[in-house]
Amino acid sequence: MANIKEIRDRIGSVRDTMKITNAMYMISSNKLRKAKKQLAETESYFYSLQNMIARVARHLPAEMENDFLRTPDDIPYPARAKGYLVLTSDKGLAGSFNHNVVKAAEEHIKNNNTLPNYRLYVVGEYGRHYFARNGYRIEENFRYTAQNPNLDRSRDITSILLEDYRNMVIDEVYIVYTTMKNSISSEVQIKKILPVDIIEETRTKYSTIDVYNEEFFFDPSPEAVLDNIVPNFINGFIYGALVETFSSEQNARMMAMDNANKNATEMIAELQKQYNRQRQAAITQEITEVASGAKALKRAKEAKLKKQRLEA
Amino acid sequence: MERKTFRLQVMSINGTFFEGRASEIILPCIDGQYAILADHEELILAIYTGKMVIRDAIGDKIDVIVGNGSAQIANNRVIVLVDTCERPEDIDRNRAQRALERAEEEMRQNKSIREYYQAQAAMARALSRLKNSSDYGID
Repeated sequence: MANIKEIRDRIGSVRDTMKITNAMYMISSNKLRKAKKQLAETESYFYSLQNMIARVARHLPAEMENDFLRTPDDIPYPARAKGYLVLTSDKGLAGSFNHNVVKAAEEHIKNNNTLPNYRLYVVGEYGRHYFARNGYRIEENFRYTAQNPNLDRSRDITSILLEDYRNMVIDEVYIVYTTMKNSISSEVQIKKILPVDIIEETRTKYSTIDVYNEEFFFDPSPEAVLDNIVPNFINGFIYGALVETFSSEQNARMMAMDNANKNATEMIAELQKQYNRQRQAAITQEITEVASGAKALKRAKEAKLKKQRLEA
Repeated sequence: MERKTFRLQVMSINGTFFEGRASEIILPCIDGQYAILADHEELILAIYTGKMVIRDAIGDKIDVIVGNGSAQIANNRVIVLVDTCERPEDIDRNRAQRALERAEEEMRQNKSIREYYQAQAAMARALSRLKNSSDYGID
């Protein structure tokens, strides 16, 4: 059994760690609140944007050619060059948050690619390290942090992805990110963002039916409208995903820190019990020693007295 | 005289900017400004970085600095979706100036085409913000 001083030091160190985890919990909850507000603000814009794209797609002239109307249907699915935008966090200490994301991305890459022609665009230090360590080829100069998602960053990311898409370096773009289902559980999502599914769907659904639609006039041209609206949509999507991932990260960290706090409290209670027991044992021992010492003294005195009496 | 109005929604990534009745909206398009009044024909417009003017139901003028986006006009309803939108008085001129300088710097370096376009877009945004906020004597 450990001695009293050791236990006391242990309690002290657990207390210090708890101070850190407690502070991290508070920081995360603060950041989460901010991120949630950001997310709520983008939602209405994003839904209207989706509706607008559907509407534009419905009224596009059938024979139009545009980068965003391109479909890779002539290439078999596993052979298509897929771009993956994987959103992870910069730091750990967030439970299984990062692990889930990289595992989902890894699985999708393994199951759906026969050729090594995929491209990985990874946001966040954790994911970058993970994929580099496990021998995946990642885009070297794609370096973005997951902290404080803002429009500038999502714009940069969007323009990189769009350029590779336009130059036919990649045929499809997937985004792997985390959404919050509720305040306790989050979920990894893999979504295809390019080519835009809504456009394809509406075009195949409506092109065959010969019904009267209200005529829309496009100014300056349908191409220009599409060129303006699709990057906005992608940007909106990526921004939303960045914010959502950031919220999930903070949420995961909050839970991890909450657990750490709980464990620390339990541990302190257990150690305190041990400490008290040890202290009690030490006191008891001391008392016993004192008492037996006193007894021995008394006995010695009595023996001495008896001896004196006998001599006298 | 009673003004004819239409329903207007202006939204950007940062949330809904305007929602309600308006009597006129002037949008920055590729070849100049495009004004829309009530009962306009069905139209989808591409909007480019610049100044948008809204005249609300009682005729008050609201200036807005917008980024790229699009507008949809149907059934006397106008929906404007833009990348960014701000009031001129909310613009931080120092920040815009810095952004402009950074963009100029980036354009001077011979970088890839993508980076060139990116810098160009940043420059357009910064210039439009600077120009429109100076109309207000904000310095």
